[in-house]
Amino acid sequence: MIRSRTLAGFSSLLRAELADLFQYRIEMFLYGLWQVVNPIIYLVIWSTVVGGGDIAGYTRDDFILYYLVFMAVSHLTLAIEVYTMAPSIQSGRLSPHLLRPLHPFWRAGALNIAYKAVNLMFLIPIWVGLALILRPAVDPDWLGIALFVPSMVMAALISFLIGSCFAMFAFWTTRSMSFWDIWMSLTLLLGGQVAPVAVLPGFLQQAAVVLPMRYTVGFPIEVALGRVQGAELVGGLAIQAGWTVAAAAAFVLLWRSGVKRYGAVGA
Amino acid sequence: MSADIRVRSLVKHYQVADREGGLRASLRSVVRRRHRSVRAVDDITFDVQPGEIVGFLGPNGAGKTTALKLLSGLLHPTSGEATVLGFTPWERRREFLSQITLIMGQRQQLYWDLPALDTFLVNKAVFGLEDAAYREAVDLLVGLLELDEILTKPVRQLSLGERMKAELAAGLLHRPRVLFLDEPTIGLDVTMQQRIRDFVTRYNATTGATILLTSHYMADVKALAERVVVIDHGKLLYDGLLTGLIDRYAPHKTITLHLERPVDRADVAAYGEVVSADEVQVSVRTDKAQAAAVTARMLAELPVADLSVEDPPLEYVIDQVFHRRES
Repeated sequence: MIRSRTLAGFSSLLRAELADLFQYRIEMFLYGLWQVVNPIIYLVIWSTVVGGGDIAGYTRDDFILYYLVFMAVSHLTLAIEVYTMAPSIQSGRLSPHLLRPLHPFWRAGALNIAYKAVNLMFLIPIWVGLALILRPAVDPDWLGIALFVPSMVMAALISFLIGSCFAMFAFWTTRSMSFWDIWMSLTLLLGGQVAPVAVLPGFLQQAAVVLPMRYTVGFPIEVALGRVQGAELVGGLAIQAGWTVAAAAAFVLLWRSGVKRYGAVGA
Repeated sequence: MSADIRVRSLVKHYQVADREGGLRASLRSVVRRRHRSVRAVDDITFDVQPGEIVGFLGPNGAGKTTALKLLSGLLHPTSGEATVLGFTPWERRREFLSQITLIMGQRQQLYWDLPALDTFLVNKAVFGLEDAAYREAVDLLVGLLELDEILTKPVRQLSLGERMKAELAAGLLHRPRVLFLDEPTIGLDVTMQQRIRDFVTRYNATTGATILLTSHYMADVKALAERVVVIDHGKLLYDGLLTGLIDRYAPHKTITLHLERPVDRADVAAYGEVVSADEVQVSVRTDKAQAAAVTARMLAELPVADLSVEDPPLEYVIDQVFHRRES
């Protein structure tokens, strides 16, 4: 059970982080712009390559739709903890947060959500603009759209928790960023970024189904677009729930042992 | 009455990477890292009673800040025990964190780009303060620290002194029973230092809070703490009254004479160690026990126009403590 004081603390942190981020509007706009560049590149490449036919069941319209949804999902599941939490562990700026009677986890969460919310202001017009220009044909799968919500929430949680785990490597090493880069490269390939998972060669597809990367980005998109159905859908959601629990467990374990090593450097 | 702060054989070792400068050493460290253990806090034991103000003294790197970080729960010790208000600090229980504060002169909890009031509101929610209690605390702190104009300006636009005051206020909104103050006056001008000192005294008097503070400014310690704990290289050297420290390490008085006419330096040296001397003003350091007798003799034998007898400055006393340890 989460106490009401914890929730009050969290919501006040969220408000403060939002107010703080509004001070950096230009910076946020540039980050937002940078975030849509990659999906646009993939979108252009795949919709050109596929021509009038299809690849693994994806037509030109399907690729366009996939990457339009991808833009939203990849933003909403973004993990920024290696850039926020890790430096504060190294520099000792974590200290004031450790001294408050509220787990620093909540502050990291507030920062994560605030960052996404502020960026949405810039991203939504870009998405709408692109959708209007590209006008892909849509055949809505209502069950998929309904299940997209829980899948999306789990994806964001897994991503945040794993991002936090990598950030917590900063308790042991000053190079947590390098480990994160490796993780991100794997996600690029297996998470449904360079291509939808269905387009990958067989052995990579098999790996993607069991590894966590797909469940941080690609899977919610596939759910929304009705690309996974029946047993595959249920199984996928179960694996995703499993990874959410596993990521939370890893987070707790790393936090417990990491915080003992915290050096609280600086004055 | 049980102690608010109880420390038993507390030890904290740090592992630090150690290598010489230069490319060769750098390459060698790729293959094999050498680590060195630094004993930041080395077996210290002391108690602080409720309502007491204790000054923590020591040169840079003595382990003062590490000790405060251990006692506020930021660090886990290598060994030993400590309790603060009955809690083990590094377990960081909610009930514990709600009753203490650690204020560091160089580390800030305030949001840089927002007015300090925004941080206050976060603390209000996080510490679960009722509206009335919050308003009362803010009013008290605004009054004591003269914060009126300060709280609504973005923190980045505040002067160092203003920021320190806002930082103190943010750390005290929840009315902590135990305060750890690490260099609360560092970098501040003399007036501002005085204000912060007055504030700490008044806060202690009105709330009965227990305070453990470190400072480089002897004036802070002299004004605030009757009792001092001196540490160096992580070890406890002295724990007792400030006056006792002076008696033990610098049992002198400095007699300063203003003379009617110049006298031979050798004549003055007969009374004690000459600390400074010019034409008509001479300072002589003498044993505390003999100060009265020496003063009487000087008055009888020298052409004295004016005379003062003073305790040695605290800086000198502290210097003696560490000097003696090294020699």
